[in-house]
Amino acid sequence: MTNQSRREFLKTTALIGTAVTGLSSKTNGAQTNQLSEDRMGVLVDTTICIGCRKCEWACKTSHEMETAPLDSYDDRSVFNVKRRPDSKSLTVVNEYLNNETSSLPIDVKVQCMHCDNPACVSACIVGAFSKKENGAVIWDGDKCIGCRYCMIACPFQVPAFEFEVALKPDIKKCDFCFERTKIGKIPACTEICPVEAVTFGRREDLVKAAHHKIKNYPNRYINRVFGEHEVGGTSWIYLASKEFEELAFPKLGKDPAPGVSEAIQHGIFAYFVPPIALYALLGGVMWINKNKKIEQGEEN
Amino acid sequence: MKSKLLLLIFICASLLNAQNKKVVHPNLSGVSCKTCHSCEVPTKENPCIKPCPRDKMISIDQSPEEGPEVLIIDKFKEQSDIYAPVAFTHRLHAEMSGMSGGCKMCHHYNPPGQVIGCSDCHELTRKRVDVSKPDLKGAYHRQCMDCHRSWSGKVECVSCHETIGTSKNKKKQPIGYKGKNRVHPKIITPDKIKFDTPKTSGRIVTFYHSEHNELFGLECQSCHSNESCVKCHNKNKSASLKVKTTEQKHAVCSNCHNTKLNCSSCHLDTAKPGFNHKVSTGFDNSKFHSKLLCARCHTEKGKFKGLNNECMNCHGKWTQENFNHKITGLVLDETHAAIECAECHLDKTFAKPVCNNCHDDISFPKNIPGKLTKKK
Repeated sequence: MTNQSRREFLKTTALIGTAVTGLSSKTNGAQTNQLSEDRMGVLVDTTICIGCRKCEWACKTSHEMETAPLDSYDDRSVFNVKRRPDSKSLTVVNEYLNNETSSLPIDVKVQCMHCDNPACVSACIVGAFSKKENGAVIWDGDKCIGCRYCMIACPFQVPAFEFEVALKPDIKKCDFCFERTKIGKIPACTEICPVEAVTFGRREDLVKAAHHKIKNYPNRYINRVFGEHEVGGTSWIYLASKEFEELAFPKLGKDPAPGVSEAIQHGIFAYFVPPIALYALLGGVMWINKNKKIEQGEEN
Repeated sequence: MKSKLLLLIFICASLLNAQNKKVVHPNLSGVSCKTCHSCEVPTKENPCIKPCPRDKMISIDQSPEEGPEVLIIDKFKEQSDIYAPVAFTHRLHAEMSGMSGGCKMCHHYNPPGQVIGCSDCHELTRKRVDVSKPDLKGAYHRQCMDCHRSWSGKVECVSCHETIGTSKNKKKQPIGYKGKNRVHPKIITPDKIKFDTPKTSGRIVTFYHSEHNELFGLECQSCHSNESCVKCHNKNKSASLKVKTTEQKHAVCSNCHNTKLNCSSCHLDTAKPGFNHKVSTGFDNSKFHSKLLCARCHTEKGKFKGLNNECMNCHGKWTQENFNHKITGLVLDETHAAIECAECHLDKTFAKPVCNNCHDDISFPKNIPGKLTKKK
């Protein structure tokens, strides 16, 4: 958002404009994702998470964000309110009461799910969001114009905007530790987790491992891997002991989120209808007005 | 000719294979290779061990003494810059596990032979290809936290780890390290427990805990075989109390007692006095039989009726030759040692002897037919 000059931005916009008006009679959806077979993912096992919140600390530390000292994360009173990832924390852990049979609570880590067909990528009008080959959905501050369409498009309502920053606000969301994975490290949260409730690996292997767990411990898990099919699949997938909707997961279908929003958008913009319609309308108004004037003139 | 040669090679190969199994797993006779291995011919390079199911696994139990006493878990020294290593009191935990699930509580993959340690299967590095099982750090913490958070709900790292850099510990011993020979402190058991049951008549059940483990010689594990750690270690007792069904409540007793019949043998309106063999059966076992296990006399398991108080039931026929009278605290003199038992002991229980069969003005215990060896 900051480093791109006005001229460059106008250039891009003009190019897009030309492409849309001149070359295609029908607008294209977001580019088909180049989903690699080896794309990575994370399996979150909520039955294992102990709610120590070390992932929150590691996330902030590795992203050079402001954080309270490590030992302050032992304070469990934060669980009294349900939190959401925001511009100051890219991941949060929430705690839910378990069934009567178990005194142990259920802890659920929340962050960007890194969809296989991300709605934010599709919604972003300047291409600031992109899905990377390793599965990460990342945001490019150089391109963002701060329209916040991504925030509305995201089925998980993850992207956060730095409202408190007046001059150079950023969109903040988990970037799957793209800078770390680039140099062969694993995401900070998956590295620090003492119980490995978050396992980093090939998504395909993780889905297999998750189903294996369900088969082996049918009493421990419900028979569903959240994120395997939801909104077309996500890089982060979840296991739980009770229905995900009870753990504040959104109720989602299997169709990719962009499919829905794009169908509406593209339906409206198909065959260059809106501009033509607009010009037709304006033309019509002009014509009526002109006729009126003529009539008035005749009367005079 | 060629086919015969091939057959010979095949036989040799299969023999070799069978021998191999014996060498690698000496205790595994009768167990199919497929129980643990997924491929036909497991090799050292590719053992193709199936992903571990926790249940349905062949398991062995060893005594706590057979394992290590204390393990210093410092395998991640190189990786960790926040927390220092911990000392894991293996012996102590092994002892406690006896009342729960035994070795397999932690050693969930536990085929016969040597007990397999965590690091034999769980990889040291978190970034790895096989994600079907947790890495070593995850495996350790899961084992610890599964129980340790169940009674306090706390998950602070510093309850086990020291933070590097803030250590005041000059000996550089890990936190919680209290010497090598640490064993579990003596478990204080209740003498008796009075249960107030919801029954209208026969409300009170008095359970004499001390009788069961001291008098009846039951081991802790005889009843406490599947307890959760919380049962003893919970600081908030009421929180862990679960609502139990009538059946569950009786289950622990019905191993030995028939809880379907004779409710009134336990359910009374007042507290029941403890077990007294003399009062209940008429046979005073406090003199010579107090140290015996019940099963020495009541040989049929679970059956305690039908014995009368005659010594012959257990001891056979006593004669002056086969009975060492010294055991009673009285060494008979030569004259009396030669006399048949029944001459003096008219009673079948060999109680107080009578002297007037032979003597006129002599009586027991005023006069003694020998030498007393101990005071009565």
